[in-house]
Amino acid sequence: MSAVIDGFAVVLEPTNLLYCLVGVVIGMLIGVLPGLGPAATIAILLPVTFGLEPVTAVIMLAGIFYGAQYGGTITSVLLRLPGEASSVVTVFDGHALARQGRAGAALGIAAIGSFIGGTLSIVALTLVAPVVAGFALDFGPPEYTVLALLGIMLVATISSGGRIRALAAAAVGLLFATVGRDDFTSAERFTLGNLSLADGLDFIPIAMGLFGLGEILYNLEQRHRAVQAPTKVTDVWPRRADLRQSSGAIGRGSVIGFVLGILPGGGAVLSSMAAYALEKRRSRHPERFGKGAIEGVAAPETANNAAATSSFIPLLSLGIPANATMAVIFGALLIQGVTPGPQLVTEHPELFWGVVNSMYLGNVLLLIMSIPLLGVFVRILRVRATVLAPITVLITLIGAYTVNNSVFDIGLVIAFGVLGYLMKKAGFDPGPMVLAFVLGSLLETSLRRSLLLFDDDPTGFLTRPISGVLVAVFLAVILLPLIQTVLRKRRQPAAGPGAPAPESPDLEPSGAGPRETDLRTDASRAESGVSRARSGAAPAGGDASAGAGASPAGAAPVDAARNRADRERGAAGQAGAVRGSGAAGQAGTVRGSGAAGQAGAVRGESTSDAEETE
Amino acid sequence: MKITLPALTLAGLLVLTGCGGNLGSEGDSGSTAAYPDRAVTLLVGQDAGGSTDLIGRALADPASKDLGQPLTVQNKPGANGAVAAKELAAAKADGYTLMVFVGSLAYITPLAVPADQAVDINNYEVVTGISQDDFVLIANPETGFKTVKDIVDAKRPIKFATTGVGTGSQLTQTLLFAQAGVDATAVPFNGGNPALTAVLGGQVDVAAVQLGETKEQIEAGKAVPIVTFATERPSYMPDTPTATEAGFNVPVQQSRAIVAPKGTPADVVARLRTAFQKGFADKTYQDFNTQRLLTANEVDGAALLQQWTGSLQTYRDLVAKHKIELGAK
Repeated sequence: MSAVIDGFAVVLEPTNLLYCLVGVVIGMLIGVLPGLGPAATIAILLPVTFGLEPVTAVIMLAGIFYGAQYGGTITSVLLRLPGEASSVVTVFDGHALARQGRAGAALGIAAIGSFIGGTLSIVALTLVAPVVAGFALDFGPPEYTVLALLGIMLVATISSGGRIRALAAAAVGLLFATVGRDDFTSAERFTLGNLSLADGLDFIPIAMGLFGLGEILYNLEQRHRAVQAPTKVTDVWPRRADLRQSSGAIGRGSVIGFVLGILPGGGAVLSSMAAYALEKRRSRHPERFGKGAIEGVAAPETANNAAATSSFIPLLSLGIPANATMAVIFGALLIQGVTPGPQLVTEHPELFWGVVNSMYLGNVLLLIMSIPLLGVFVRILRVRATVLAPITVLITLIGAYTVNNSVFDIGLVIAFGVLGYLMKKAGFDPGPMVLAFVLGSLLETSLRRSLLLFDDDPTGFLTRPISGVLVAVFLAVILLPLIQTVLRKRRQPAAGPGAPAPESPDLEPSGAGPRETDLRTDASRAESGVSRARSGAAPAGGDASAGAGASPAGAAPVDAARNRADRERGAAGQAGAVRGSGAAGQAGTVRGSGAAGQAGAVRGESTSDAEETE
Repeated sequence: MKITLPALTLAGLLVLTGCGGNLGSEGDSGSTAAYPDRAVTLLVGQDAGGSTDLIGRALADPASKDLGQPLTVQNKPGANGAVAAKELAAAKADGYTLMVFVGSLAYITPLAVPADQAVDINNYEVVTGISQDDFVLIANPETGFKTVKDIVDAKRPIKFATTGVGTGSQLTQTLLFAQAGVDATAVPFNGGNPALTAVLGGQVDVAAVQLGETKEQIEAGKAVPIVTFATERPSYMPDTPTATEAGFNVPVQQSRAIVAPKGTPADVVARLRTAFQKGFADKTYQDFNTQRLLTANEVDGAALLQQWTGSLQTYRDLVAKHKIELGAK
């Protein structure tokens, strides 16, 4: 227990306080700005963390991550532009509330929900991580092998843009991870005789390129126009009735966010959608959703913050990044000489508890800042992308150079930036690639160590208790969606691909003039996707892959908490449908949208929508 | 990587005073009158937090005070330091890039890797030796192993963790088990800490790690020391026999040195050696040595070169005699 308290002492050091503040402010900023997501921002800022103590560095990076969840809400509610992918569903009711002049209430309840969700998750993190650490020594090479495999698989399957594309991206990421010297034979692999490649590809240039530069390039293509600041926000504190109405949603959102956040590949995006879908399903008046139901704001905002926090659990307790942002933070820790893993809590208690406890503080800071500073953040939206983008590119390249004082790294950033841009254009999400790259060497070395331990007998994975269970989960992740697809096809042979999406009863046709509708149509398509998923119909055409891809998210909680199985699966399935049909509605841009833990594409998409309607 | 404010101020002052007279007098010849006039990078070919890294950092701190410039430790882990060594070889021989070189890279790794990948210490300029480190064979208590005889009598194949291919950890165990006639499989890990964890978690039966790395676990009873590979019993482990006492010929130590690229001017090397000798005399550094159970080996470059080339020959002969394969050669 004293370690927990020492952690607070760490947080209260002036430097750490300062960087916590810096982190959450940057987080809110990029949350507001459509353009850079948290993964990209953290990647770009990696070089800055070099001179910092590990704990200070991670406190700041964590602040960026959960701060972005707050910031994303603001533009969702006020401008109908989700600043972050995890705030996409907040648009439905948040903006409806804003149009009723109740933007303040929506923002207020989002801030309160976020605070509660985040805080509950930290408490859970505080309790769970040491328990996992208790098993630390039982995690040997076989366990890490399966865990890494599971992580890559989950991310690949849940990621948007279809499973095949995600798996392809992950496979390329694994290949990139093999560059460099072989730890077992000292043989050089794919180094092309280049000294800079002898140590393998560096993580930082890859992350900075794929996430940072790639995203900037991609966004630049959508000619941004400075956004007009919306109407004044008044009456920020939600009414007592709002609070009463939202309390259940906040509670459930916390749980969903926490559970989905822990799962590799889950994270903020998925949980916000699942929480929204669940609230709508539970509601006695589901027709209120999309027309300004306060729960429709409270649930996803609570869930995305809870998930942002709980996704630190697999990273800090197992050393497995749950999403792309965590992969970047994983890289940051490695650079600092700290290897995240089961022993982190005991070996670096000051780091672990410092970071965990900084989140309490960060959440308080966000709650305090988010309301009075609204105006400032909204004004930032007026900065033109044509000004912002070149500056960001410059910072990225300088940053990449300073890491190793290596010009080669600049070249790598540019190469991977172009790759990231092309991937996005072609509908590939770079997230799985980065994750697979990070986990690749862990997977390879653990696998080869395991086989040495088992005398080359692969059945050894099944006979150890922890790895055996993990293998079972792994198989479930692969098989369940296949079974589901087969069952669905059998049940609904009539609904062939390309069947027109039925109009949702929630749709608000009157308010939708052609000039304003793109996102709204998107939303209503998403809504109709939800109802289709609920009725069990086969997903129409383009969203088939996304819908199917989402189901493992439902499958995994089934293993985690059986009694909740039905509800969770339903929720996640619907979430998948929300994303899926969003993609279907917009063939070109959106395949990369709703990427688990990856924000850029959705934001790019929604801004471009606003653009196109001009 | 830490640069303390006083050190910076000191550095700044020294630069001001030191450079005052000869500004602009430096040509392409790389005159060293003002050496060092900026931070010196100290490469470490191992992960941060391992013995080599800790030694490098403990030494960099006092030595940088004498140099009047920060000595920045930069970890470039990979292939037991071969990656960093390669980088060092390619660096400018101006005294601004140094490396904490591990002996095993010079006298054990060449036995394990193809000739074109072996690092030859003669291609570098040795600034000074640092210290030596002994290996100890530890077992998980659940194996019931307390002596080498226990392992032999168990009459079963065993798995042992090494700290990597071509490391002293691998060589000591391979030699020991070859001489004892034990059927043993090496499982390479990346460094001492992961190998230790594998023993503690029961993933492997035994591992050889450096003394300092496992002191706490031995004291806590979580790891059982079987033999040390030291020349004589270390003072704090009086009850653990050496391999020689147990009847085996495994004279393997880890040794470390500060190394510069070949062609570094002699006066720069001399300046660095002075700085490191000041560092060796530092009280904090000496306490660190005691605490980490390290034996000082602060010899000059020529003496160190002799030690290491001698070891390489000894091990080559031993490996040939016992027909051992260390790597995918």
